[in-house]
Amino acid sequence: MTTLQAIRLVTARELRERARSKAFIGSGLFTLLLLAAVIVVPSLMDSGEETYEVGTLGAENPSLLVVAETLARDRADPDQEVTFTVTRFDNRAAAEAALSAGEVEIVLIDEATMLREGSGGFGGSSIEAILQRAAATVALEETLAGSAATVEDVALIFNSEPLAVESMAGADAELDDARSIIAYGGLMMMYIAVLSFGAWTLTGIAEEKASRVVEVLLATLRPWQLLAGKILGIGLLGLGQFVVTLAGALVLIRVTGAFDLPTIPVDSAVTLVVWFVLGYSLFSVAFGTAGALVSRMEDAQTAALPISTIAILGFFAAFAVLGNPGGVVGRVLTFVPFTAPFVVPIRVAFQEIALWEYLGAIAVSLVTIAALVRLAGRVYAGGLLHFGARLGLRQAYRSAEIR
Amino acid sequence: MLEIDGLHKRYGDIVALDGCSFTVQPGRMVGFLGPNGAGKTTTMRAIFGLLRPDAGEVRWMGEAIDMAARTRFGYMPEQRGLYPKMKVRDQLVYFARLHDVPPAEAHEAAERWLTDLGLADRMGDPLESLSHGNQQRVQLAAALVHEPELLILDEPFSGLDPLGAETMADVLRQRAAAGAAVVFSSHQLDLVEDLCDDVAIIHAGRIVLEGNVHDLKTHSDRRIVELDLTDAQQRVVAELAGVLDSRFDGRRHVITIRRGTDLRALLATLQDSADLDHFVFTTPSLADLFREAVA
Repeated sequence: MTTLQAIRLVTARELRERARSKAFIGSGLFTLLLLAAVIVVPSLMDSGEETYEVGTLGAENPSLLVVAETLARDRADPDQEVTFTVTRFDNRAAAEAALSAGEVEIVLIDEATMLREGSGGFGGSSIEAILQRAAATVALEETLAGSAATVEDVALIFNSEPLAVESMAGADAELDDARSIIAYGGLMMMYIAVLSFGAWTLTGIAEEKASRVVEVLLATLRPWQLLAGKILGIGLLGLGQFVVTLAGALVLIRVTGAFDLPTIPVDSAVTLVVWFVLGYSLFSVAFGTAGALVSRMEDAQTAALPISTIAILGFFAAFAVLGNPGGVVGRVLTFVPFTAPFVVPIRVAFQEIALWEYLGAIAVSLVTIAALVRLAGRVYAGGLLHFGARLGLRQAYRSAEIR
Repeated sequence: MLEIDGLHKRYGDIVALDGCSFTVQPGRMVGFLGPNGAGKTTTMRAIFGLLRPDAGEVRWMGEAIDMAARTRFGYMPEQRGLYPKMKVRDQLVYFARLHDVPPAEAHEAAERWLTDLGLADRMGDPLESLSHGNQQRVQLAAALVHEPELLILDEPFSGLDPLGAETMADVLRQRAAAGAAVVFSSHQLDLVEDLCDDVAIIHAGRIVLEGNVHDLKTHSDRRIVELDLTDAQQRVVAELAGVLDSRFDGRRHVITIRRGTDLRALLATLQDSADLDHFVFTTPSLADLFREAVA
């Protein structure tokens, strides 16, 4: 049996058994459902029509309400039905009763105070913003009295499109949006992938040790072949789950039209895939080594703590880079093997990385992975047939008998 | 032929193997015996490359054992272990494939072994749903599914009920009859005596007795006499020339004598025994040889 055949057998078993397991199917379905909920629910609540119900109490300025209605209609989509109703209340008690009953959203008192039922919710309600702007518009219009501008003209100026922003790099605004989404999204995905698939490697290896099947396996497989096959199998499966989830999300977004998708730049897409593979390999080898040191599943998480900590630190370090992708911190972390998978995709997304840095980071990662595989293979060999208390890294390395 | 040649292995101050050497011929069943900690498991692990001896070598068919040779070996470690959640048939197919059996044959062999071991209706069940005895059968099948030329089993009979032990013994006999070299360790010496052609007894890391069971017994310089004696008779017997040991095993007196001892003196002490029910003169049992070898 060649090395390649051996690794392929281990990989195939890993793929088949895990893909069938309830835990895998369950977690995959759960992620899809969660995504579906995030995408579909808001678009269901977004019911083609927009209703504003305003109450007034005391002194009333009709032009303020006219302006508010104009603003409300202007901000809605063209195909959206807008209903704007105004109810007059004679006393505060009646107004409060209507607010509590949900008959009106807000009551404007003496053109000066807005009364609402409770909190305005996250970011305030849209009717509040509309009334604020209408009040300002009316005030401005009174100041401009005598000029040719009507109240509506002034209102529309306030409501106009924000200023266009251009970058010297020549990228258009839409692509810029896509880049920051990629930077944030990519960072999150990398972090989740490294920790969750890394945990699979950890428990997969600890399981083989705990069930003692490893002694039979090692009679025909070298430890590093077993490790490599396992990492490959779990990696492919993770990538598969990832792709299915992503494809599902894209289809749902397309079908529901929940929001506009930015076009993803090719360099960012390629970078994400490349660094997913590098980052996953790096951390999986490390997690696998930790798994080989324990004999009982209960000890696995403890053994993996140093590696999880490194992943979390890398993740937070990357946040610093998000704010300043071209800065010194980002440049340095590009060449640190355990932070590069988080940092490099961010710098690529913002186009703040030189080619030599990019290639250098890949080289550093590959060298580290190669060194780590050698270390892991040896520790793995020393640890796999040691049953009992958790082994130290150095002890396992020294006691390795097979390579 | 399996040749274990001068294996040495130390773990710190502990000497696990101290020049362990013996050979196993194809078609022979060898009992690998020794007290706990004598080096049996260490020797077996050395055969499978699971540890690296400080000195010495293991050869198969005259050549140092490599991974390719090991695909033709079968191993049942003392610590049993398979994948608990994996289906029984898939498990056997996987182990066959790891031993270089092509896919179609691997399937065929897995199903044949499971049928032979009476597990035909459990093929699609996960291992953990099987009873302890049935899991042991699957473990045996995992060591045999690729029809190995050399079969190494560490304590295969431990934990088996009499029926399970019988199945195990039958299967091992068949493998040896089919030409495989079979080596197993056991503490059940009467079972080994029934089953094995040869034995190798290891003590403190070196082989202290090796050879054909029958030959070892007949060539032993001792003989055993088993009979009923009165206390007075026993005191006389114990003093006779050539008597090495005399003890009462709860029912009878068991006298160990040097081979070639003149039995007439012994028989003379029995002259006044009116009704002698039981008199056995025999070669020592394997248990006797074992006791002597590791004393």
